[in-house]
Amino acid sequence: MTSHLKEISKAIEAAQGESFLEELNRKWNDHNKALQMIRDILMYMDRTYIPSNHKTPVHELGLNLWRDNIVRSSKIQTRLLNTLLDLVHRERTGEVIDRGLMRNIIKMLMDLGSAVYQEDFEKHFLEVSAEFYKVESQKFIECCDCGEYLKKAEKRLNEEIERVTHYLDTKSEIKITNVVEKEMIANHMLRLVHMDNSGLVNMLLDDKYDDLGRMYNLCRRVPNGLLTIREVMTSHLRETGKQLVTDPERLKDPVEFVQRLLDEKDKYDSIINKAFINDKTFQNALTNSFEYFINLNARSPEFISLFVDDKLRKGLKGVSEEDVEIILDKVMMLFRYLQEKDVFEKYYKQHLAKRLLSGKTVSDDAERSLIVKLKTECGYQFTSKLEGMFTDMKTSQDTMQGFYASHPELGEGPTLVVQVLTTGSWPTQPSATCNLPSEMSALCEKFRSYYLGTHTGRRLSWQTNMGNADMKASFGKGQKHELNVSTYQMCVLMLFNNAERLSYKEIEQATEIPAPELKRCLQSMACVKGKNVLRKEPMSKEIGEEDAFFVNDKFSSKFYKVKIGTVVAQKESEPEKQETRQRVEEDRKPQIEAAIVRIMKSRRVLDHNNLISEVTKQLQQRFLPNPTEIKKRIESLIERDFLERDNVDRKLYRYLA
Amino acid sequence: MPRASKRKAAPPSSSVAAPPPDQSRKRTAKATSKPRLKESDQIDNLFDTYANRSLGEIDPEGIESLCSDMKVGYTDVRILMLAWKMKAQRQGYFTKDEWQAGLKALKANTILKLVKALSELKKEAESPENFEDFYLFAFKYCLTEEKQKGVDIESSCELLKIVLGSQFHSQVDSLVEYLKVQKDYKVINKDQWMGFLRFCKEISFPDMANYDENQAWPLILDNFVDWKKEKSSSR
Repeated sequence: MTSHLKEISKAIEAAQGESFLEELNRKWNDHNKALQMIRDILMYMDRTYIPSNHKTPVHELGLNLWRDNIVRSSKIQTRLLNTLLDLVHRERTGEVIDRGLMRNIIKMLMDLGSAVYQEDFEKHFLEVSAEFYKVESQKFIECCDCGEYLKKAEKRLNEEIERVTHYLDTKSEIKITNVVEKEMIANHMLRLVHMDNSGLVNMLLDDKYDDLGRMYNLCRRVPNGLLTIREVMTSHLRETGKQLVTDPERLKDPVEFVQRLLDEKDKYDSIINKAFINDKTFQNALTNSFEYFINLNARSPEFISLFVDDKLRKGLKGVSEEDVEIILDKVMMLFRYLQEKDVFEKYYKQHLAKRLLSGKTVSDDAERSLIVKLKTECGYQFTSKLEGMFTDMKTSQDTMQGFYASHPELGEGPTLVVQVLTTGSWPTQPSATCNLPSEMSALCEKFRSYYLGTHTGRRLSWQTNMGNADMKASFGKGQKHELNVSTYQMCVLMLFNNAERLSYKEIEQATEIPAPELKRCLQSMACVKGKNVLRKEPMSKEIGEEDAFFVNDKFSSKFYKVKIGTVVAQKESEPEKQETRQRVEEDRKPQIEAAIVRIMKSRRVLDHNNLISEVTKQLQQRFLPNPTEIKKRIESLIERDFLERDNVDRKLYRYLA
Repeated sequence: MPRASKRKAAPPSSSVAAPPPDQSRKRTAKATSKPRLKESDQIDNLFDTYANRSLGEIDPEGIESLCSDMKVGYTDVRILMLAWKMKAQRQGYFTKDEWQAGLKALKANTILKLVKALSELKKEAESPENFEDFYLFAFKYCLTEEKQKGVDIESSCELLKIVLGSQFHSQVDSLVEYLKVQKDYKVINKDQWMGFLRFCKEISFPDMANYDENQAWPLILDNFVDWKKEKSSSR
């Protein structure tokens, strides 16, 4: 048989070029057939003699002989390999090859045992492939941009997978794809991701979902691939976010500021959704980045509250209920990123108070919906005062009905609407009362005696700085208008019922409105075009102490109702901001102390660093306490004998019951 | 006794004050009775020499005359140590009980012996096992008001110089300088006071290389270290 095979071997060697493989294939088929017959003839021997004497079975022996005499014969072995590799290379460069023949030959190698396939073909195949892709990827990366390169890499990868299914052993798939991944992706990943004008950052900027998706899928295949993408995305996001929140131009318009944040979030949400198959780790990276930069600007809580204020005042008019919910949910998401939730609460309370008192809120449902959201997010304590404000509004309505029912004679003359606000629930400032016009103060007195008559033991104080009034006014040529003004503005205007000309000093004396408020309110009535119901001398944009004021007889407006710049919630001025800041800091002290005591009460003994981190953990729902401030509170508690330092280990604190 | 300094010198008449009625305190037999009896009488006599008759206590004036008799300045650390030894409760005053217990422990029944005992006392107070107790006493001794928790910066600085100045000269100098320029604290509390001692004992000075802010030092020392480092780096 060996000599027969040697003959065959010669025949195959003789085959030229193309026909070499065909010849090999043909002979192999013949050999197989022969082998089958031999096996059948010698079947009895195969079954009885061979197992008991540990000899090689006939069929296997035949294959081994084929292997040794044909496939591994010195003249055939390398030629076979080169021919196969050459065919693969040709296919890679675009030629069409006889895949059936390829499959048969490869099948032969596999039939001869997986070792033969691996040793005589696969090993070399992988080496050659690696070399091929190394060269090719180098070529591509020099001349393609990132998107194109990724397309090519993806195509190559798919080709290889297809090749495996057509004529290679399925086990080779992982190996060859590994080669492609390593040569085409892993080795060039950093360069690709950071490629100028077309790298990841540019794809993110231009919302190239397809390219991003491709990059995600390819990088997912190589170690650290996604990590790299994620890191680049995070740092890009942080950088742009930082620019956004620290850009002084942006700070001028809080609503726009928050809208930009929301847009940015939407953009990345859809990138992660469309290109990164909603990968959790990417979502987390997005959240972290937002948390990072949103808190870089200390005014973010104020601005978010202003954004809500703007939406609830006018932005949501005519918007469907579902859309309102969507907007509110987005706001809540930004809220979640805030470290200083208590600051947000402070501002929110202020803005809500103004909305409620001026009756300017678009929808009570939307207001309540947001409160519910805040409550689920932060718990009952966070919103109890906000809810108290709503309750007060409701109770006040009932009170006013009762008041007018018991004073039927008040149908004529001015109408008074009082909101009774619970101290503590509302962000009231120490009330700077002004002198109300006599008509009004008489009415106020009546209300006071009515209210105190029904609720004994209460105290009423007037918050004139928060009220507003509708007045009917007639001007020089008989034109009539209804003016919507603040209480302060009303007090000033009423003075002109009995006077032609009033100096600033006279107004100040008569009303006793605090100077900064008075100036602001005069400015809005005398210096704003279209709202200038007063005329002032000399004409200028600012109010001076020496100015004199007249009713502007030439006042005209297209509208019957004129709303005169009521104090709309706006960005706080620098001193106001600092005052709020200070109040927040003051409010935090007892919270930090309470947290320290809670922790120490349960732990009894705890070291400094752990205490700091526990306190931080407990409080970060509401704000991020400053370690120095915590330390101050600890020292204050030591001074008041709630805690003591351990005598031996000075890092330890002990709780003193 | 820095706080007593404002009083005028004691009038010599106080030394001839009549002895107060003998108090019958329990005296357990411990040593031979004869010298002890004699000794306690002498101690009582000495007390009467300096005591304010109407108060039944030695008052600041009495202490000043005691100091001048011993030829020791009343701001001398040894007087503070004497008060420590007597476990004196109230600044500027020694009660008869305190006086008797203190002088007995010092085995001093005359001024001369007391002066001699003071140098022994100094060694005792400055010994490692006693110094912290004495140091804390010095602070508490300055709390003169009910519920007072802290000592004002000015007095704290003086006290630091007296009790720590000799051992930790450069630390105290720097610390005092800092305490006088800083604006965050108006008084020093016990925790901070004990922190100063620990700082002087444990931290290498002036480089402060082993100062670790994570070691739960009182904030005032964190600030001091920052201040000191900034100062030396700006030089």
